[in-house]
Amino acid sequence: MEFNLSTFVLEIINFLILIWILQRLFYKPLLEVIAKRKQFIDQSLNDAKKLQQQAEEQRSFYENRQKLWEQEKQAATAALHQQFEIERRAQLDRLNADLEQERQKAKVTLSKQQQELQQQAEKQALRNGAKFAGMLLQQSTGPELEARLFTLLMDNLTVLPEACRQSLIALGIKKTVPVKLTSAYPLTAEMRQQLEQKLGTLVNSPINFQYHQDQALIAGLRMDIGAWVLNANLQHELVGFAEISYESE
Amino acid sequence: MENGFTFAIGPVVIGLSIITTWGIMLAITIIAWLSTRHLDILPSSLQSTAEGIVAAIDEAIAAVAPEHGRQIMPFIASLWLFLVIANLVGLIPGLHSPTRDLSVTSALAVLVFFSVHWFGIKTQGLKNYLHHYLTPSPVLLPFHIISEFTRTLALAIRLFGNMMSLEMAAMLILLVAGFLAPIPILMLHIIEALVQAYIFGMLALIYLAGAIQSQQLNSQE
Repeated sequence: MEFNLSTFVLEIINFLILIWILQRLFYKPLLEVIAKRKQFIDQSLNDAKKLQQQAEEQRSFYENRQKLWEQEKQAATAALHQQFEIERRAQLDRLNADLEQERQKAKVTLSKQQQELQQQAEKQALRNGAKFAGMLLQQSTGPELEARLFTLLMDNLTVLPEACRQSLIALGIKKTVPVKLTSAYPLTAEMRQQLEQKLGTLVNSPINFQYHQDQALIAGLRMDIGAWVLNANLQHELVGFAEISYESE
Repeated sequence: MENGFTFAIGPVVIGLSIITTWGIMLAITIIAWLSTRHLDILPSSLQSTAEGIVAAIDEAIAAVAPEHGRQIMPFIASLWLFLVIANLVGLIPGLHSPTRDLSVTSALAVLVFFSVHWFGIKTQGLKNYLHHYLTPSPVLLPFHIISEFTRTLALAIRLFGNMMSLEMAAMLILLVAGFLAPIPILMLHIIEALVQAYIFGMLALIYLAGAIQSQQLNSQE
């Protein structure tokens, strides 16, 4: 344990030099880089805070915007629903109107069908009535009724209207007039003679008589002179009644 | 204890402690240069280690002297770094710790003594600084003066005594017990070297902080 002055002084100098070296070479640059890093970190933190703040503002902005969009969406949805409701009601009204129209048409069609059915039934009834009347008349006919109807024909020829008479006269101008006589029963010679005489007075030309028999006439005669037909039989009368019934309806 | 290599340049005798100190200074300088050669915001592993050491020392100093920490930091940090290496260098076979030399520890203690007054006067001014010797009562002035010298002496003797005794004990055990026996003592040497470096530096820091902040403490009182 001895004290050396040279060592003491040199140690002081050495340590002061070491402090200087370390200050220049070690502490100062390291503290500077630490400070720089701290500044960089602070700057980064500030930037991050600014970014965060901007992000918060953006989020707030977009949240508000989203709320507005939500409100707009709700309003649009409500308007759309209202429009749908109006459209639905209009379509429902149109559908009801169409249904009512169809119902009316169906009603009219049904009414027409009922009328037609009724008419057909009436026609059928008339036909049946005529048929029954025909059958009844056919059973109750005979030479007497035939004679009466012949008499009626002769009377009709006697009181022919002037227009008919002129048209018969006009037929005879050209040539021989064919006269077709159809009867339910065979005509007697007397009847044929009376008829030929009567027609001879009405038509000035020679007449070609043709006699036919047809049970469908039930009783009576039908005379065809060209386009002119003179009926004096029950079949014609029954058909005439039926037609008159249809026309009256 | 200059029992090793010595030479003289005129009146100046260069002992082993000075040569070891130069070696330590060279090593510290090379390490410092290597670690600060390519400084970057994104540090390398070496830079991270160096920054960690400096930041830890700076934090410890700032905890004691928050306002003037940066002023005294180079002195205190250099003391810690130098003493840690100087205390541990004795573990290398063939080398001896410079701190087992009373001349070296005395030089460091004297540097602390003058640094206390230098930084005290620098931060507070001469009048204010000297005024604190008269507080809380002028009667205490002699005790203040005595304590200035005794604590400096205590700094020097404490470090010197501990380091010398450690090396002495290791040497004696090696002589008595033989090979591998002094290993526990060497492990104790490591702990003791670190503790003594910490104590020396921390006491120096406390003395410096006391000198710098004495006026503030007086004004607060």
